[in-house]
Amino acid sequence: MTLPLILFLVAVVIPVFFGKARSAPVWLGLQAMGLAWNALAQHGEISNHALMAALELLVVRAWLVPALVHRMIRRRTAPNVELMPSNLFAWAIAAVMIVLAFEVIGKASADSGAFALAVMASTVVSALLILATNDSPTSQLVAVLFMENAIVLFESLLPEPWPLPIHFALTTIYVLTVVVATRLVGKPASDKTEDQAELREVL
Amino acid sequence: MTGAQTFQLSTAAVPEAGRARWVTSVLVGVALVAWLASLTLFLTTPLASLPLYFVQRYFVLDATSLLFVWLINTIFLGIAVYMLSRVRTSPVLEQDMPQIAALSIAFMVFMNLGLMSNNLLMMWACIEATTLCAAPIVAKGESNAAGRVAWRYMLYSTISLALTFLGFLCLTHSAHLRGIGVNFNLDQIPHFLATPGDPWQRIGFSLMVFGLGSKLGLAPMYGWLPETYEAAPPSISALLAAIQFNATIVAIFRILQVFRADNVNFIAYELLLMGCLSLTVAAVQIMAARNYKRLLAYACVSSGGVIAIGLSVGRAAAYGVVLYVVSSAFVKALLFLTAGRMQSVYKTKDVAALNGVIKILPFSGLLFTIGIFALLGFPPFGSFMAEMLILSGIVQAGHFLAFTLMCAMLTIIFVAMGRSIFPMIWGSSKRTGPPVREALLTALPKLFFVGVLVSLGVYTPESVSKLLLLVATSFGG
Repeated sequence: MTLPLILFLVAVVIPVFFGKARSAPVWLGLQAMGLAWNALAQHGEISNHALMAALELLVVRAWLVPALVHRMIRRRTAPNVELMPSNLFAWAIAAVMIVLAFEVIGKASADSGAFALAVMASTVVSALLILATNDSPTSQLVAVLFMENAIVLFESLLPEPWPLPIHFALTTIYVLTVVVATRLVGKPASDKTEDQAELREVL
Repeated sequence: MTGAQTFQLSTAAVPEAGRARWVTSVLVGVALVAWLASLTLFLTTPLASLPLYFVQRYFVLDATSLLFVWLINTIFLGIAVYMLSRVRTSPVLEQDMPQIAALSIAFMVFMNLGLMSNNLLMMWACIEATTLCAAPIVAKGESNAAGRVAWRYMLYSTISLALTFLGFLCLTHSAHLRGIGVNFNLDQIPHFLATPGDPWQRIGFSLMVFGLGSKLGLAPMYGWLPETYEAAPPSISALLAAIQFNATIVAIFRILQVFRADNVNFIAYELLLMGCLSLTVAAVQIMAARNYKRLLAYACVSSGGVIAIGLSVGRAAAYGVVLYVVSSAFVKALLFLTAGRMQSVYKTKDVAALNGVIKILPFSGLLFTIGIFALLGFPPFGSFMAEMLILSGIVQAGHFLAFTLMCAMLTIIFVAMGRSIFPMIWGSSKRTGPPVREALLTALPKLFFVGVLVSLGVYTPESVSKLLLLVATSFGG
């Protein structure tokens, strides 16, 4: 039960401190593998629902979405920026927030899911920190995907999983979000950022 | 260019133009059918028979969904007619029309489903889906920056809705700790809530309101709104400001409706804080803005602030809030569509360049003036009555500080808006020549919006007034 969570946490923390944008699909894939392992190990026995959830995590979150992000990064031809700027100040804030997430959430909930909740909270704060410190669209998209994975981790704590139609509707929206995002930011990086003097005709 | 080349180009352009017009006509047809359906529903459903559940209780027709389904379909019909008139007068727009029409229809399908949804998760999914439909159209804005802006719009929306979803999970976790399973059907949630609320329930509730507030464009996470409304094509700005905004408002109404019993004070302060912050931010930014679309965008932030403050008051201001929401939807649609017309003539968004616009575009200038007065809360429009009711509710609730701040900020907004907009309308024009002719088709939806706005302020039919009251009672108590 703890090992998959540790794998997930490692795949969150390392890229925040040392990861670059181009390596992000690998970390996202690792996170999804941790989630799939966690889904299978959750209730001791392997149910049909657990199998479906793990399969969906492996196909969608460990393979499809990282592949889409990888393709987008290749198309953008932007510099390989760090996910979070590597300076002592940002590192200190990240470390403090992750420790605080464990201290506050871990101690606030005395039940068996306390560790998973703390991991979830650290992932959310890491995602918010990446968003706050980096304006590269690739890093921002990766931060959003970190947050989506944190939500899946939280969902896995529920005693009874949500009905499959709701689960698949959420997955569809997740995949569509990535598809639209990669379409919006997947064009080659351009220096033309300023507005045109005269505007195009629009509806 | 040789004659043969010209011939080739024109023969290629004719089917494209024909297809675009056909697609736009279909869009208007769909909007008309949806509007007629919502009107029929509105006229034939006795209010006493509400709520009606259907499709295994996944959907509900209650006062809130009845009002807002009619509202958004009415505004969408206006926007669709405006799009048709623009495509007819500017052939250059025909190229993107099939994609825009398809995404707009998908947007409206999800919007209607979301409004009638009886399940909070389904409503959440529908709002997220509307964002996914709108983002590619925002990217078709008039400047090079539109793509980046569309991405930021999507990013902020996704984060806001992710926070809302975390709120749902916190509620589920709270119920789990008490050994209860949660079902997010609106009519069943109250049975699963703890009284008094435990910390997980409060965190969940707070995250839901914060996430949806951010989706509304309330401070502190309001940054996406001004740039998106400015960069998007005007018809899409109207779609976002008058339709998507209302779907999010309905989600907040639903949450207040369900959770009102126990957690009202806790959430009231969150809403009050977000509302006051939004009003302050909007007042400061309106003073600095010199771009009429951006001015309208910040006015949307301020109207979000007024709604949040009104919601924080509860029952005393509930009717005013509903009236304000309905009025501001028509005001925003009117202003963005008129701004689109002015932009198409002047090809700029700078207020100084449009000095004396009423001489060049008499009809659009007049409609813009009417819209600005309605936005600023002047009589005889519905927004005047609504603002008065909200202010009186704030006083009744004893929030004197919020009352003072709201009055001060609305005054600043009035002065700052007038300083920029009034010379734009009545100043001396730099353009010469006769006034530009405006087609009746372009004006028709805007005239209807003005009619509704005046009617809301002067005479509201009893059935509409009853419906507004029912909606107000549902979340205000």
